Parts: sequence; C-alpha cells; structure tokens
Amino acid sequence: MNAFKIALLAVVAVLLLIQVIDRAREPAQLQGVKASVDQLTVAIQQQVQETRKLARALESGRVSAIAPTGTAAVAAAPDGAKDGKPKEGVNFLQPYDSSAYHADQVGGTLRYLEIPPTSVNYLLENGSSTADTYDLINDTLCTNHPAHPLDWYESLATSVVITDDYKTYTFTIRKGVMWQKPPLAKRKGYEWLDKDVELTAKDFAFWLEMIRDPNVQCPQWKGYYESIVDAVAVDDYTFRVRWSKKEYTNLDMTLGLRPLARHVYTRFADGSPIPAEQVPVIFNKHWFDEEKQHIGVGMYQIEVFEPSKTLSFVLNPAYWGVPYHFRRLEWDGVTKQPDAKLVAFKNGQVQEMDSLLTPSQYKAEILDGGEPRFDQKNGRAGPFGWERVHGLEGRSLYYYIGWNLRRPQFRDKRVRQALAYAFPKQRILKEVYFGLGTPQVGPVNPDSDYFDKSLVDFAYDLAKAKAVLAEAGFVDHDGDGWIDQVIDGKKVDFRFRASYYGANPNWPKVLSVYKDSLQQIGIELVPDPAEDNELRRRMDDKDFDGLCGGWLSGLNVDFQQIWHSKFANEPKSSNYPGFANKRADELADKLRLTFDEPERIAIAKEFQRIVFDEQPYLFFRNAENIFIWHNRKASDNDQSEVLEGVTEGLDRYHPLYNRTKLLWHLRN
Amino acid sequence: MIAYILRRLLWMIPTFLGILMITFGVMRLQSNSLSQEMEKASGGEGGVMDAKLMATGVENYLARFRSTGLDLPALVNLRGFTTKEKVVDKLRRTARGPGVSEHRRNRLETDLWLEGHFLVEPLAQIIADDALAELHGPASLALSLCAYYPLNPDDLKRLSQEEQRRRQTRNFEVRSLRIDYVNTEKGFSTTDTDGAKKRATVAEFWKRNADSFSRSSQRWGAILGETGFCEVMGKLFTGNLFSVKRKEYVFNVISDRWKVSFTINLLSIIIAWCISVPLGIRSARRIGTIEDQVTTNALFLLWSLPSFFIGTLLLHHLCTDTASGRAWFPNRGLSSQDALWMSTPRYLLDLAWHGFLPLSVLCYASFTSLSRYMRADMLEQLRSDYVRTARAKGADEDHVVYRHALRNSMVTMITLGAGLLSELFGGFVIVEYIFSIPGLGSLLVEAAREQDAPLIMGSTVISVGLLLVGILIADVLYAVVDPRVRSRYG
Repeated sequence: MNAFKIALLAVVAVLLLIQVIDRAREPAQLQGVKASVDQLTVAIQQQVQETRKLARALESGRVSAIAPTGTAAVAAAPDGAKDGKPKEGVNFLQPYDSSAYHADQVGGTLRYLEIPPTSVNYLLENGSSTADTYDLINDTLCTNHPAHPLDWYESLATSVVITDDYKTYTFTIRKGVMWQKPPLAKRKGYEWLDKDVELTAKDFAFWLEMIRDPNVQCPQWKGYYESIVDAVAVDDYTFRVRWSKKEYTNLDMTLGLRPLARHVYTRFADGSPIPAEQVPVIFNKHWFDEEKQHIGVGMYQIEVFEPSKTLSFVLNPAYWGVPYHFRRLEWDGVTKQPDAKLVAFKNGQVQEMDSLLTPSQYKAEILDGGEPRFDQKNGRAGPFGWERVHGLEGRSLYYYIGWNLRRPQFRDKRVRQALAYAFPKQRILKEVYFGLGTPQVGPVNPDSDYFDKSLVDFAYDLAKAKAVLAEAGFVDHDGDGWIDQVIDGKKVDFRFRASYYGANPNWPKVLSVYKDSLQQIGIELVPDPAEDNELRRRMDDKDFDGLCGGWLSGLNVDFQQIWHSKFANEPKSSNYPGFANKRADELADKLRLTFDEPERIAIAKEFQRIVFDEQPYLFFRNAENIFIWHNRKASDNDQSEVLEGVTEGLDRYHPLYNRTKLLWHLRN
Repeated sequence: MIAYILRRLLWMIPTFLGILMITFGVMRLQSNSLSQEMEKASGGEGGVMDAKLMATGVENYLARFRSTGLDLPALVNLRGFTTKEKVVDKLRRTARGPGVSEHRRNRLETDLWLEGHFLVEPLAQIIADDALAELHGPASLALSLCAYYPLNPDDLKRLSQEEQRRRQTRNFEVRSLRIDYVNTEKGFSTTDTDGAKKRATVAEFWKRNADSFSRSSQRWGAILGETGFCEVMGKLFTGNLFSVKRKEYVFNVISDRWKVSFTINLLSIIIAWCISVPLGIRSARRIGTIEDQVTTNALFLLWSLPSFFIGTLLLHHLCTDTASGRAWFPNRGLSSQDALWMSTPRYLLDLAWHGFLPLSVLCYASFTSLSRYMRADMLEQLRSDYVRTARAKGADEDHVVYRHALRNSMVTMITLGAGLLSELFGGFVIVEYIFSIPGLGSLLVEAAREQDAPLIMGSTVISVGLLLVGILIADVLYAVVDPRVRSRYG
C-alpha cells in the first residue's frame, strides 16, 4: 500500500511538472509563431516585389532580362574608355555585370561556421566578421570583379570621373536604390522606420563625416581618410571627394566607400531628430546598435543577430542588383572547438567549412582516409567535397623570417642568400604542413597580376650555402665547429636567435628542421619564443636577430609601408628589419603616383627582383587551407531547402566564392 | 541563531570587498596600456604608426580609456600633488636617445597623456618657462591630450547644454595648442615657427580654463574618489557596467546566458550527489569486500581521466554520423532545432537525450571525491561510541546508519556543498566548449579572449556573490545539523 501511494504521488508530481513546464514554454512558442509570421510576411513581400518586377518587364517587353542565363545579360562591351582601368577625365567603370546570376538557381539556406561579430556597426567595430557582414548587407560605390580583380565596375555609382591630377573623384549615384527596412520596424513605436527611403549622395558623405569627426570613436579608420580635403553631396545623386594629394592608395579607399543610414543614425528611437552637434557623440552608443540592428542597401538584410552566437540573413526583396543564389544564410558561432566543428559538418548541421580544417585534421580525415566520405584523390567526387585554397579572406597570407639587417652577420646579402639556400622549404611544407602551402618567393601575392613569375626560388643546397658563406668571409677560423668572421674588429660567431610568437604551434617545428640544417654548415640557430607583448617589445627595440612573422597581402600592391627606407629607423615601423635600398625606394614612391596598369606591373616586377636578390626576409610559405563542403543535401533529416549541391552554386554569385576565393576557377 | 547569521553576514562584507579588490587588481594588470591598444590598431604586426594617425587616433583611444576608468590610477590618486619638476623629469624620460628602449619610452609617453586634468597646470607652467624650451613641444602635446575630455552619451544627459558646448569647444581648441617638435636620437627640438604664438595661446587657454583644471579644489577628494576602483565599483553597483566590445550592458549579456549553465550544472550536482552519497554509504558498510575494492578502483580510474579527453572521445564515437548511419546522441546544444513545437513530454525526452552526455561528462569526476568523502566520514561515525551504544540497544543496522550516523557524517558534505553554488554560475567551460552549449563558461572564455574587462568583472562579481551565499547556506546548515555550533552562539 505504501509503495502504491509513493508511486501515485510520483505520477502526480511528474504530471504537475509537465504542466508547469508546458506553461513556461508558452511565451517562447508565441514568440516563435510571431517570428514565423514575420518571416512569411517578408517572403510574401519578396514575391510581390518579384511579381512587380516581372510585370514591369513584361510591360516594357524585356522578359529575357529577368532570368538571365549565361552571358545574356552582360552589358555592352567596353568601348575603350570604360575598360575598368583608372584614368583621368572620363568615366572608366565597366558596366554592372549580372551575367553569372541564374534566377532558377535561387533558393535554399546555407549554414556555415563563422563566429558572428559582437557588433555590426562597421565604423565602430572593424573585425573581420563585421567586414564579412558588411559585404553581405551593404554595397560600395564601385566594385572589383572577382575574375578581373584589378578592374573596376559600377555598383552604387554609375559613373566616376577623376579630375584635378587624380585628386578629385566625382561619382554619380545610382537612382532608385532603397535602404533596407530593419526587422525592428515591425515593432510598436518604430513604425517610422517602416517607410521607403532612397539612397542619396548624402549617405556617403555621412559615412565620411562620422569617420572624420573627432568625437566618433573609430581610430582604426581615421588614419586612412586623414588627407581628405572634403567630401560633399553636390546634389542627391552627385557625390564628390577631394584629396589633398595624388596617391594610388586613395583610389581603393574612395571607390570602396559605403553609405551609412543617415535617416536612422541622426534620429532618436522615437524618430525625432538628434541635434546635429550631438549626432557624433551619440553615434558611439546609438540605440540602433543596442537593438542589434543594422541596415544597408546590399543583397542581404539581417534577420536575427545575437552577438557572437548567431547571425542570419535573408535576401533583400528590394535589392537593386543581382544577389547571391541562397535565399538565406546562417552563421553559426556556437560551435567553436575544432573537433566539434568537424562533427557539426559531418552531421550536416553546416554545409561548409572554410579554412577550418587544421593541417592535422586534413591529414587524418583526408590524406589517411579517416573519413571515407571524402574522396582522397578527387576533392569533388565524394559526398563531401574538398579543395585547397589560397590564403584568408580573399587575401593571401605569407610567412617569412625577417633578418635584422643592423646585426653584423646579416649585413651582407650573400649571407642572407646562403640562409635561403640552407632552408629546406619543400621538406618543411611537406612534413610540417602536410603539403598545405606553396613556396613564397617574394613580397607579392602569387595570385596577383603584379607577381613576377620569372623569379626562381633558392633551391635547397647546403654545399652551395657553405660556399656562398665562405665567399662572404664566414668560415670556421678557430675550429670550434661554428663559422665566424672578424667584422668591425670584432670576432662574430654565426649564431642567431629566431623570435616567434609562442602560441603558434608550427614555428617550433619549422625552426627545429631549419636548426638541424644550419648546424651542418656551422650556424647555430636558437629558437626564441615570446608572448605577444614581449614580441612587440623586441620589434620596437629592434632586439631580435631573426623574427618569424606573416603578412596578409591583397591582389594590389603598395610597397611603402614594409620596404621603404624612410621607415627603416622609425619606431613602430613595419620595416623592422631595417631594409634600405635606394632603387627600391624610388620604385615604391613611383608606384604610389602611377595609375597606368602596365606601367605599375613593370615597376612592381623590378621591385620584386630587388627584394628577392636582397633577401631581407627568408620568404617561406604561402598559406593554403582546406575548404570543405557538402556535395549533397545536408542529411535525410534536414527538412530545410538546400541547393542540389553546393558546388552547383559555387559561381561568382555564391557567397563562398566571393568571400574568400577570388581566384577560384570553377566549373572546370 | 539570528545572532549567528548576522555575524556571518557581517563577515561577508570585508570578504566580498577583498575579493572584488583582487579581481579588480588582476583585471588592471592584464588590461592593455594605451600604447598597446594603439599598436594593436595601427596595423597589427608592426604596422606603421605615423604621427598623423596618432594625432587623431590617440584622442579616440583616450576617449575609450576615459569612459572605462582605465585612465585613472587603480586605488590611490595622487596626481593632484604632482609637481612641475616631476613632470619635467617624466617628459625628459620620453626623449629618444642612444640605448633608450623605444618600447619603454613609448609606454611612459602614453601613460603621461592618460594622467588627465591634474597635469594641465604643471604642463602649462612648463610651457610658460623659458628655461625649458626643449620641452615645450612634448609638453604642449601632453597638455592637449590631458585636457581632452570627450563627451560621452551619458554626459549628454548629465551636463547642461552650455557645459556640453564648452567642453566641445575646449576639446576642439586643445588641438591648436600643439607646438610641433621632433623627437630624435639627439632629444627633443621644436620645429614650429609659430612656437611663441602658441605659447601665448596656451597661457591664455590656461587662464580661461583654470577653474576646470584647478588642482587645489579637487585633489583631496580625488585621492580615493577619482580612482579606477571607485569608477568600476560605482558602475557595478548601479548596474551600469557597460561592455564596449559588445555594445551592451554587462548584466544583460550575463542574463542571456546564465540559465543554461545554471540548469545543466544544478542537474549535474543533483545527479552527482544522488549517486555518490549512496555509493559512499554502501562502500562504507561493505568495507574490505571485493565490491568495495572494485568500486574504489573503478572510481579512481574514472577520476584520473580528464573530462576534455572523455568528452572528445564521446563526441567522436557517439555523436558523429558516419557513412553507414546516424549517431546515437546529438553533438551539440541542449535541444533539437524544432524543440519549440514538440509536446512537453517529448520536449523533456529531447532534453534528456541532448543532456545525457554533457551531464555524464560533468558528473563522473565528482563521483570519486564525493563518494570517498562520504565513505570516510561514514566509517568514522560507524566506529564511534554512540553508534556502538545504538547497536547495543538493539537497533537494526539500517536504523543505525540512516538515523544516527548519516546525519553526523553530512557535515563534510555540507562543506563541500558550499562551493557548488559558485560552480553553478561559473559553468563548466570544457563541456560547454566540446558540446557547443552557449553557456556562461564559454561567455567567460570569449570575454577573456576579447579582453572585455567589464564583462569579466561582472561575471566574477556574480560568481563571488553566489559563493558567499553558498557559504552562508552551509553555515546555516552546520547550525541545523550540529547542535554544538548552535549552542556556541546561543
């Protein structure tokens, strides 16, 4: 009887508990219903917009433009002036290209692992994930074509004319581009946000106004725009920027300008205007940012944003151009541990992993066949696809050891060349990085048109290294096993410390192989790890012999920051090895003032040959990553609409392609 | 009993303050200096920090430091008593020269700029002093930065329109006070042709603003009042601790995350106790038998396996889909994606399915310590006189164990329990990390990685608060369980 009572009580307790939990879940469920309704509304709006576009096209008899396939929609061929190459006095922009857009391929959700930023206000937070967000939600005045990265195309500007010796840029802004409406506009009290606002030149001026205002806390940006004289909206569709001097680097910064939602950031939450003098102060802690909202005029608009956790985008129904093919994008920032990330990929929770497979995972999963769903030989054949890609975020990343040229043993360029001969580059790439990387031979991104392909790398040859060192005077005079030389009246043993960032797992391995190699020719290398702050101190005080580092390099080139002798003895300079070469300086200066592409390429190639010959760095590795994706629908359980195979969508209008793989040659 | 509780409560105040101070100290030690912050933004690995970038950039960084209280000294502010001679000495040490460490020099220079309004007076005196001509340049730069107090959105509510305008004009004005100079291996030298004019402007500026930068009226109050500790504590206790990195109030961030950690950790503690206590009692009653030895060895084996290792193994073998089939357990989160629309019983089952592995990984290590403590205590009690008496009275063994011995052996368990509340809050970082559960532990890791000092401070304070509450509960329980404690305090 006692047991029966207890059992009865337990059942009642469980039922009660279920009831309580049931009640507790109700508010969340209601919210869920509301969110679904909102989503549905957006989808309907999208449909309505598309139908309207179709109707307009039908009326004007241009039906074919709605679903362009292949090259049907490529605008008129460049007439010579509009070749995308910067020049003075004429509009050189190539027409907006919508050729790779296929309306029939639009659909599906793409989920991938990317940690969302803590804030999406790009002016105040300029981390790489904020930059990625901005590329999706906002456009720039002009754009680079992924297939021709050095050419400029129309985007939000339909024309640009550069005058006044490359100092004044005048843009014509595209008409009829509308600002997105934030999800917040549906909430009570924010109805004022729910209206169509057209993009005007004032929005671009506002972007620069905020950056240049001393009250706005964006020190990262200010330096770039210091030498702007003024930036004004001449009228609603004409925007003019004037620089104080002619410089090639201004080109990227001006043509890449973005608009900022002036109609939101100049208002309080209730829609009333903020007094003009308070706008920059309030901008630092604006209610719109606190509400986790942000809008642009780009192809996607933010749907849900939880800092560092999730961020989802939906296609902007009123987008003026042609978007990517996925209807939705979801960033997942919850899974962070490398093993957990791989499991999430295998279980189909994300369909893409970009530069997340560590070298050891690459070896275990693909090279050693640990995961049979990857095809070992042909990356595109298995249920899971994989491909080696260069670099990071569309830029190439190269590693090097920079020699301190102030040290007596590194002064002679023959010595530095010998150090390159003694570096078993291929072996290290194979053994330490499992082949994930290509040899770097100079200071330029090998994918760039500026790269000099005629440079032949130093082949590993210890005998040659020894001979070159002897020629430079370094031999073992005292028979202690280490080579030495009398420099400036002092005997110098060839012994050096190689400083590196201690948390990097690969440098110790690389250096230990190099150490063995150098030991055979009588040079002693001492690996010298340091934490971040100490490494900075060594750079500041030039207190290092060799310093292991890495640079990101884009497709364009500018040599001043790293190689110009005017920075050689500057504190905090990027030219910390102290490289100084008169001809190289001339070339770097000339490159800044040259806008003609063939001429620029010739200058850059000559520059590379000098740096390659001088070897101030031991150029080492151009990083490669493994990009993996699902070739099929995520899983049988996955009810969401996914494209047939992600590879199908890997074209120019695919986010994966655009985000990081500028030079992917797809559909091969 | 009330006196006892009151006494305990009073003791908590110094403990709480002490812990706050230590946490604050650690935070201050690990936070970046102005020069480090500026380096970080000026191009990362050795980006060029040219003078132009610095001139505007440094004001922005100053603003960030001023709004977070990082510009103030940690505990005692004696800046109001800095003499002109001391400032001269400091300025001289920021000169370049042979053998001077650039790193150190830069640090000294930026630290000087942070010192703020108290330094305006001695700096103005230096600029007025003809004998110190070589220092006029650096002193004017330092003055322009020390006098720079940008408005922040809170000031807009706090200050009158007139005062706001005055501050804005002043901030704008200070830039024009800078006398150009160069700092080379040979030391400072002024390059400004308008030097004399600017000196006069500085003198005039000082005259006009002497009130705002007056030292005599403010320096005594500032000794303790105008310190980093006061600033942070003020914000903490008014709930205004703001995370600049996340653009959000710290307590909002925490309140989003703590529920997950709280639930999962509370469950793990309940499970750990429900298993360990009976296990300990059973071992104690069967001491020396094979069962006892097997249990002890098995538990120690489990204890010696680190949870990140077991967690990863489980993740790989039980949570990963293979080419041939689905995994047994989910690999991440605490519920399925469509959990919101499940019926409640199914939802609970879904929770159990998701929670099983994370909970197991959380619990298994504590089985050993908890059950061994229980076993040792129980053994001690079972060997004591009163138990022998109880047995002699003829009480049966269950009665002896559960009515007499158990209650006394719970004292140690209560002590162990005191720390559990704070564990609840802190979360178990590794398990959250491996099983991708967005709880408080992972938030702390993120905060540490982003060097988000206010967030770390906020969560530590809550954690410490809970620890103290835990200790208080334990103290009260001692009194309940142990009559000796009660009698001592009347």
